[in-house]
Amino acid sequence: MMTRREMLWGLGGGLGGIALAGILMDEGLLAAEGGAAPLRLHHKPKAKRVIQLVMSGAASQCDTFDYKPRLIKDHGKKWDPGEQVELFQSSPGKTLKSPWDWKQRGACGKWMNDCVAPLGDCVDDMAFIHNMVSKSNVHGPATFMQATGFILPGFPSVGAWVSYGLGRMTDNLPTFVVLPDPRGFAPNGPKNWGAAFLPAEHQGTMIRPSAANPINDLFPPNQAKYINPQSEKDVLAALERLNLEHAETREGDTRLDARIRSYELAAQMQLSAPEVLDISQEPDHVLEMYGVDAKDTKTQDPMNEGEETRFFGKNCLIARRLLERGVRFVQVWSGADNGHPRRNWDSHEDLKRDHWPLGRGMARGSAALLKDLKQRGLLEDTIVLWTTEFGRMPCSQGSKGRDHNPFGFTNWLAGGGIKGGTTYGPSDEWSWKPAEPDKATYCYDVHATILHLLGIDHTKLTVRNGGIDRRLTDVHGHVIKDILS
Amino acid sequence: MSERAMQLFLVVALCLVATDASAQGKPNAEEAFFLKHVAPIFEQRCMSCHSDKTKKGDYSLQASATALDKELVEPGDASNSLLVEMISVIDGKAEMPQGSDPLTEKEQQLIRQWVETGAHWPEGFELAVKDTWWSRQPLKRPAVPEVPLDQQRLVRNPIDAFVLAKLNEQGMALSPQADRRILIRRVHYDLIGLPPSPEEVDQFVNDDDPKAYEKLVDRLLASPRYGEHWARHWLDVVHYADTMGFDKDKVRRNAWPYRDYVIRSFNQDKPYRRFVREQLAGDVFYPGTTDGIVGLGFIAAGPFDFVGQTEIEDGKIEKKRVQNLDRDDMVSSTMTTFVSTTADCARCHDHKFDPISQEDYYRLQAVFAAVDRAERPVDFNPKIAEKRYALQQKLDGLAQLGEANKAEVAGLKKELASLPKPGLVYAAATEFKKVARFRQTGGQPRPIFVLKRGSERAPDMQIGAVRPGALSALEHLQSHFHLPEQHDESQRRAALADWIVDDQNPLTWRSIVNRTWQYHFGRGIVDSPNDFGLMGRKPTHPELLDWLAVEFRDSGQRMKRLHRMICLSTTYRQASSHNSKYAQIDAENRFLWRMNRRRLTAESIRDSILLISGKMNERMGGPGYKAFGFKDDHSPHYKYHEYNPDDPKTHRRSIYRMAVRSVPDPLMTTLDCADPSINVAKRTETTTALQALALLNNKFTVRMAEHYAARLQAMHDKPADQIRSAFRLAIGRNPTPQEHETVMAIADEHGMANACRLIFNLNEFVFID
Repeated sequence: MMTRREMLWGLGGGLGGIALAGILMDEGLLAAEGGAAPLRLHHKPKAKRVIQLVMSGAASQCDTFDYKPRLIKDHGKKWDPGEQVELFQSSPGKTLKSPWDWKQRGACGKWMNDCVAPLGDCVDDMAFIHNMVSKSNVHGPATFMQATGFILPGFPSVGAWVSYGLGRMTDNLPTFVVLPDPRGFAPNGPKNWGAAFLPAEHQGTMIRPSAANPINDLFPPNQAKYINPQSEKDVLAALERLNLEHAETREGDTRLDARIRSYELAAQMQLSAPEVLDISQEPDHVLEMYGVDAKDTKTQDPMNEGEETRFFGKNCLIARRLLERGVRFVQVWSGADNGHPRRNWDSHEDLKRDHWPLGRGMARGSAALLKDLKQRGLLEDTIVLWTTEFGRMPCSQGSKGRDHNPFGFTNWLAGGGIKGGTTYGPSDEWSWKPAEPDKATYCYDVHATILHLLGIDHTKLTVRNGGIDRRLTDVHGHVIKDILS
Repeated sequence: MSERAMQLFLVVALCLVATDASAQGKPNAEEAFFLKHVAPIFEQRCMSCHSDKTKKGDYSLQASATALDKELVEPGDASNSLLVEMISVIDGKAEMPQGSDPLTEKEQQLIRQWVETGAHWPEGFELAVKDTWWSRQPLKRPAVPEVPLDQQRLVRNPIDAFVLAKLNEQGMALSPQADRRILIRRVHYDLIGLPPSPEEVDQFVNDDDPKAYEKLVDRLLASPRYGEHWARHWLDVVHYADTMGFDKDKVRRNAWPYRDYVIRSFNQDKPYRRFVREQLAGDVFYPGTTDGIVGLGFIAAGPFDFVGQTEIEDGKIEKKRVQNLDRDDMVSSTMTTFVSTTADCARCHDHKFDPISQEDYYRLQAVFAAVDRAERPVDFNPKIAEKRYALQQKLDGLAQLGEANKAEVAGLKKELASLPKPGLVYAAATEFKKVARFRQTGGQPRPIFVLKRGSERAPDMQIGAVRPGALSALEHLQSHFHLPEQHDESQRRAALADWIVDDQNPLTWRSIVNRTWQYHFGRGIVDSPNDFGLMGRKPTHPELLDWLAVEFRDSGQRMKRLHRMICLSTTYRQASSHNSKYAQIDAENRFLWRMNRRRLTAESIRDSILLISGKMNERMGGPGYKAFGFKDDHSPHYKYHEYNPDDPKTHRRSIYRMAVRSVPDPLMTTLDCADPSINVAKRTETTTALQALALLNNKFTVRMAEHYAARLQAMHDKPADQIRSAFRLAIGRNPTPQEHETVMAIADEHGMANACRLIFNLNEFVFID
């Protein structure tokens, strides 16, 4: 029998390593202890990848996708839902209509606000859920809920679960990639894409396309003058030799092989990642569609439409490139931390000032993403999910803002297995609560639906932690059949 | 039987025990048959669901009146008895016991026979529910197993006898002893988290003293580095960090005294009972001491919803939720840490697997009903702490006497005022300055109700306000605290602490020795150190666990004594080499036929790099270093890309790293450090491309490689010697000629820093053994 060293060298070192990858993976050598689930799908999947667009700060449903004539009719009048209302910061103000107009779009005739007009072209591919409810009206816990299914820290991100459950489709890039808002982190920071009790390999890898180092530690720092391409090559070759010799005398420990292999994977990632981020290869009409070169709009406000379009559009374009190259799950954020001036969707003071640029930028980028995925045939087996931690009240805070609304907000989905042009789960006449409160939709249902489309029964993807077989959907979750194609 | 089925089987064994049958008169032959053969089956397999209390399917087997239900049992006619039908196996399955393995052929036959012969049940005979779950059984010191003569030389202490007994059962044996070079590196990392110096290796390898190894262990246990290493384990378990977590992840400027307290406690070899008491109610048990207050940092160690607590008005449902979950963290952290129990699973409903009711759970919440996480004053100088306490005591005494002592009162007050100003520690507190809408209780407990379905909107008003208490499932302990109507809230915490450290609490002592064992061997005797319940794992060596627990409890609860015993055992000193025959029997090495090869923790990797590069700053204690650029803001910014690896303030051991919950340290997280949002009993170990990239390219490792090279060059003129030392410092041995040649070629071609960077990435550098 060949020793492992002979096997690797026999195959021609580095290149042979690529062929060997299959062998090692089949044997589960790369799996961590208690690592990736050797999952067989529970049923035939409709999709194999996911992109989650997260609007941080709580995007208003009643200024974007959830049309309510009652708000226009009662605008400026006392808002009286007939029961006492506890809000996060304020007491309920007067009924407030959206500052912008509504129009019917697409063959399905969905009413959409001008703030998100660019998505009008795509509405026949989208399925809306208007009776979303959150368990918290505080940004941190509520963001955790959308990101991990729990309002407490310490739980794996949806992307980590998907990575854990389905594994990777490429060796060259991480399975779960996160594109944060370039201005900063949303509430809870990178904890939103952590692996928690799942092995760390399933955590989201952050890519910041506009930063000097888009991926942490992908290359040695510039200051390290002693490292150059030739030294890198020689050091890695020497490292492999020494590690193989070491492993040779330590039979029966697959971790040592896995670690040797991890250096080959690292080298592959070094080749692949920069290529993904190089959008200069994209034709002009594609760059134009995503608004990557959108011009600044003249405004005194902290945010402007042009800038938002560039931020979000570029991340959407890179997301598409990642998905194309085998990344399983991409999470794109719009909105940074709560600070002054405002740089997220948390429009307590001035809806017009914040929601317009954010909405227009988001809509342009996500519309481009949907169209682009579609024209490449990728939308068929890619799920797009648009979400936010909760909604905003139909009444005013001050005169121009809206307070948090955990009782009602909107999600939409598109792509693999989703029935386009659907509206599911209506809200009440004000867009405050679900029309039928006992039929509210929670993130559990959305997550269950996504796992279902990926071929996974959400009740069966479990990991034992702290005495419980933990699930993404906790003890809840129903697949929303009405939005499936 | 699968592991899981096995566990279900055991919970079903929450069984009944026969009351003394002779009291009812001598049973006849049929009754004797029932008592001997049938009752035990019912006890083992049926009673957890079919006792008077549980009564699933409205059926109880506890006494004849209900057990011999006409619908189910037709005496004398087994084939017409539904009970017999339900337990009968068809196609490998039976209706009962539900969700568990069917009864054996023999068991079915016995029950059939019992019914067929008339289903006799002794008059007045009743079965009582008894908990048979292993972890809740009273602790008894098991006899040390006899070891065959030819193996006795292997028994250095009782640990070896227990391990050998199990190995013999499986037809396996211990591996040969590891050689000294390996042993010193192992025990160094194990006890102090740092590698031995080349001189220490040489000295030990050449030491003729038969007690050479014992001396080594004792030297390491006496080193202050020991506390720094073992405190890290404890901080994983209690989910310590230096920021709040959640949105607006604010800095906890004064969390670090608790971290220092843990280090100090390990270094002082503080009795474990005292260690537990200090952390839950040090203010009650040890008034006038520094550690009695700082220890309370345990209760406050976990995350805190700063926005929810400070921005939402009291009384709102959302605020109640925030407070409920805040206490939930205190309860779950306490029960997980000290008694390896998942009490928090009973927040929304009775625990699904363990005998913990919702009421039990809320009794535990009531223990913490008056405390919040906040800064409280403390004298870091123990002498001042003592002095202040004494003066305050006197003053309080005088105040009760009234007017006459005015001058004395004034004197005391003056003396008090002249004491140095106290510092602050982030801990459990009842008095603190309000932060927006986050207000102190002033010691007045918030009312606690059983929340139906865990919902703040549904307090159970029938049960009413819950009184503080502990778990009711432990037989020899009082779960109700019976505190007087008027009591200080601290009495609640003290009562819980006493319940935990009671000699009769079997969970506590098993829990701590198991954790300790795990850190030495890489795997606990119970491989779920935070969960000794049904969903956890069962002990591989139950007798050894109990022996260690009793030994530890009864000999002063000294951690160092336990370490010493473990490290001196033959079991611990084994080589980690492979044995393909044994690997077939026990691939996971659960029975310890060899030592486990272990990967270094994130902290040990970073600390070793600092140490061998000659950069280690050994300063102990005080505020942590920041491995990031920091900008305080509405939401503070933690900017790791701004970290300067040449900043000497950051060259301290990793335990002094300021741990940020929301933005984890990229290097440490990639290397699998613990997530401070969860009580981590055992770190996951992953091997990823990102890890390879981090060790290759992180600016810390890249820069330290240059320092390492500079140090080697200062040590020796000749590159050949430099490389020899590079190996000796990093992995405790000389390079082989081939290795020397390989690394020399790199150094020649690309400089010594590249050679050093190579060494930091060796498998042998990141693995022990």
